[in-house]
Amino acid sequence: MQKFRKNTVTIIFLLIVMLGITGCWNRRELDTLAFVSGLGIDKAREPGKLQLTAQIIKPGEIKAPEAGGGGMGGSKPYWNISQIGNTVFSTVRAMTLKSNRKLFFPHNEVIIFSQDIAREGVRKYIDFLIRDPEFRRLAWIVVAKDKASEVLETKTELAKLPARNIAELIKARSATSEVSAVNMQEFLTRLMSKTTAPIASLIEVSAKEKTAQLTGTAVFKDDKLVGFLNKTETRGLLWVINEIKSGIITVSCPDGKGKASLEIIQASSKIKPEIKDNDIHITVEVKAEGHLGSQMCLEDLTQIPAWNSLEKRQSEAIRSEVLAALKKARQLNADIFGFGEAVHKKYSRLWKDIEDQWDEFFPNIEVTVKVESKLRRSGLTVKPPRPE
Amino acid sequence: MLEKGKISSSQLTFLIAGFTLGSSLILSPGLVAGHDAWLAVLAGLGSSLLIAFIYTTLAVKFPGKTLVQINDIIFGPYLGKLITIGYLWYFFHLASLVLRNFSDFFVGLIYPETPIIVFLIFITLTCASAVRNGIEVIARTSIILLFVTACATFLTTVLLVKDMEFTNLLPVLDLPLKQFIKASYAATTFPFGETVVFLMVIAFLENTKQAKPSVTLGLILAGILLVVASVRNISVLGVTEPIHTYDSYQAVRLINIGEILTRLEIIVVGNFLAMGFLKISVLYYGTVLGTAQLLNLRSYLPLVLPIGILMVILSILQFESTIENIHFAFDIYPYYVIPFQFGIPLFSLIVAVVRGLPKKAKEGSK
Repeated sequence: MQKFRKNTVTIIFLLIVMLGITGCWNRRELDTLAFVSGLGIDKAREPGKLQLTAQIIKPGEIKAPEAGGGGMGGSKPYWNISQIGNTVFSTVRAMTLKSNRKLFFPHNEVIIFSQDIAREGVRKYIDFLIRDPEFRRLAWIVVAKDKASEVLETKTELAKLPARNIAELIKARSATSEVSAVNMQEFLTRLMSKTTAPIASLIEVSAKEKTAQLTGTAVFKDDKLVGFLNKTETRGLLWVINEIKSGIITVSCPDGKGKASLEIIQASSKIKPEIKDNDIHITVEVKAEGHLGSQMCLEDLTQIPAWNSLEKRQSEAIRSEVLAALKKARQLNADIFGFGEAVHKKYSRLWKDIEDQWDEFFPNIEVTVKVESKLRRSGLTVKPPRPE
Repeated sequence: MLEKGKISSSQLTFLIAGFTLGSSLILSPGLVAGHDAWLAVLAGLGSSLLIAFIYTTLAVKFPGKTLVQINDIIFGPYLGKLITIGYLWYFFHLASLVLRNFSDFFVGLIYPETPIIVFLIFITLTCASAVRNGIEVIARTSIILLFVTACATFLTTVLLVKDMEFTNLLPVLDLPLKQFIKASYAATTFPFGETVVFLMVIAFLENTKQAKPSVTLGLILAGILLVVASVRNISVLGVTEPIHTYDSYQAVRLINIGEILTRLEIIVVGNFLAMGFLKISVLYYGTVLGTAQLLNLRSYLPLVLPIGILMVILSILQFESTIENIHFAFDIYPYYVIPFQFGIPLFSLIVAVVRGLPKKAKEGSK
């Protein structure tokens, strides 16, 4: 009898524990949550205030088949909710006054800053986005040339959600390597560095078609937007920071009668700082490999002299891209390459004297760009399609 | 005998390693040293091996005796009991600290709306069950749990390799020596020096002679895992590491393998908790067993729940916020533990040697 009672008590206790530990204190059902896929931060008209735009996925609409090209026919598969407020957090919470479901951020893919808010500094907004456990560090950081809310309203053809579309555009950048892709963690790393300037993807809305388009890189100084890199300069930057995945380099044929496109297949780079006679000297070494992708001239490029000349032209093109980025960086006086960190890591003692004056050093640093590039293959053909 | 269980030397190794990993998996040691934290952990490991040598020498000198009995022998019934009370407080306090750390971790990151008391009670109940079953059971679970945790640590490291920037570790020793010593000292006291509680456990080792190698091996094992975790965190998080409350957790959150293997942190958190369970259980066990021996009880079982309840209460009362907790952990704890981790053990050993204790030397010689 005693044993029976003991067992009963144990079983009841276990049942209570099992009920108690299955989940959290509260429950959040799927139909009580509003999944946010993109967040835009704009300046509100009222001074000192900000306008947040959250793109909420409409689960019912997104599944609808034959809706006709990303929500053209039926209603949109997303809902952009806007709210004006003082801080990011309070504004996010205030959105629940308009949305019957609580905004849920773990699936947020992009964070878009408008140009004017980025010019004023983004650190105060970033804080909440890294402190709150709901946000993930893998969201992309994007600067909109104009308003962030407009970017979230852009038309999409293949993707259903504008935010998703942007995230996919960013992921597809490796085909050209002409735009930067920076997630929150990388942005934060640069933001917290004493010398390295943060960068972000730059996005523009085309006036006519209302579609979003990546157009380069936004450059920050400390936490304030100071300028932009165009596509060439961006690729120059990416060569230096070892972020080149692929891309097409266009050079003129050795005979000068047409263009050839070279596809980058592999690239790597190193930044080597050196201090000689109280002067900082940086050597950037870029190694690249490419294919001959297409030629528009009639010359037989696979002859050794032409091939070598093509290789040289490839190296020269890469070099000029790097130099273009360097020129822009000097102009903006923003160390987007991380030269400062490289010096710090190698010359930790001397660094303490340089650190505070880095802004004066950076535009005048001597930089040598060494490019070593190879052309490996020529595709399915070796000669252009012409009668011999 | 209050405890009839016996543990093998390999069990002791794993138990020590699990105990040392304990809460240091979530609260990384040596953080003050910035990107040299891993060196601070290594230095902490090195100095803790010396300290552990004191503990094991004491334990081997008095085979089969727990800290409580050793204190009685060395310092006599009155002073010995006073020191014992001090130690019991330390074990008890440390257990409640670890309990609070883990509960804060869960409430802060994963279960924001759950009252902390729920975690405090359930973790304590789980540990209470382990303590009631005795040291043998805790030691056996440690092997399984440590194996899983070691695998998880290595797995997360491998999955993060593509995000690692090993140049983040450079320049090596880029900080004032004073700060590095401070960080290393902090790493010695937390987590390595906390193994002083094993003076309550080594007594139940099957072969006391094995104590030294087992303890050393256990500390080294934990040290390796902590260095791996530290290098992983620094190389992944870089300059952003110091702003995080829980850097390991943040590093693991960044795992993203082809957008398929993501959001793995919850699995890892399970492992963290497993180590926390070991740490709390050993400290809890030390407190309960020590109290029973102090009071000359026939069994320690009646003490398990009351002490557990007190532990929960102390957990709640000791800090108003995690900010106070951090302040305590960084600014007070390293000095608070001096008598428990270094002072008394060293003094005990000296007194024992000077007084020629233990008197019946024959027992230990063969």
